Amino acid sequence: MKGILAPRYERNYKTISVEDQNKLADSTIAIVGCGGLGGTMAEEFARLGVGHLILVDGDTIDETNLNRQLFSTEYNIGAKKVEAARQRLQAVNSSVELTLIDDWFNQDNAADIFSGANLVCDALDSIQRRIYLEESCHRLKKPLVYAGIAGWFGMLGVSLPGDYSVLKVFKDGRENDRGMEKTWGNPAFTPWVMSSLAAAESVKIIVGREPALRNSWLQADLLYMEFETFKISK
Amino acid sequence: MEVNVKLFATLRDGRFKEEKANINENTQVSDVISKYNIPKEEVKICLVNGRDADLNQTLKNGDTLSLFPPVGGG
Repeated sequence: MKGILAPRYERNYKTISVEDQNKLADSTIAIVGCGGLGGTMAEEFARLGVGHLILVDGDTIDETNLNRQLFSTEYNIGAKKVEAARQRLQAVNSSVELTLIDDWFNQDNAADIFSGANLVCDALDSIQRRIYLEESCHRLKKPLVYAGIAGWFGMLGVSLPGDYSVLKVFKDGRENDRGMEKTWGNPAFTPWVMSSLAAAESVKIIVGREPALRNSWLQADLLYMEFETFKISK
Repeated sequence: MEVNVKLFATLRDGRFKEEKANINENTQVSDVISKYNIPKEEVKICLVNGRDADLNQTLKNGDTLSLFPPVGGG
């Protein structure tokens, strides 16, 4: 209803106006990967009142996920990640429509998965698939918010159709599909920080504000608590 | 001549955040990477004075070289 906010959103009104809240309610965000980054992104979008979430992950929860992944608990080891997501998100905000894709993103299923999305979030853990995802988003004319993590460190940016920022930042993943995370792991604080930053950029795109990280990327260092933005050459 | 070398994320481990390096004429980016024993596969992004650079780019006096590793986990 125009001009009225549900109580859960009332106290956000100075940050997210009634008009912006309605835009969020009318929007669809696809999150590719429901692990450390994707789980926290989904939780935040549900709490922000995004109307429809498309969650894409073919994996099941295992014990090694407990160090960081919001949907993983000691009670759901072995469950499909998207099923665990449903249970959590319905408890958080039952008005959010969920489309759960218990499968891996690839360039062939991209058009089906993303056709109704206003925005796609890259929460993958493979550099090559990040590049494929951006290519698909470019082809389907979808804005993309991407984040990557390793140890104390993270990267974050926005790629609008034609920007190819992911390709410029991650370059070729064919030789080294995994980054430094393979030796540094991903402790809880890094995905949660980077997911939150990604959610903030996503909200700006949905409500029509200028994202801060187009044609640039944020380099986050939680060891030294340094956050620095770098321009991407065009 | 002297260049400013800035390392980011995991490349700082056991090295430094920023250091002035004395180098010879015709030193390339890859020479600096070798000088600090950084495995080539650990350098994903390389900027010289804020602009994307190749490993074979020759450095000039006063350049700032910034090196970033791949951070691709989720």
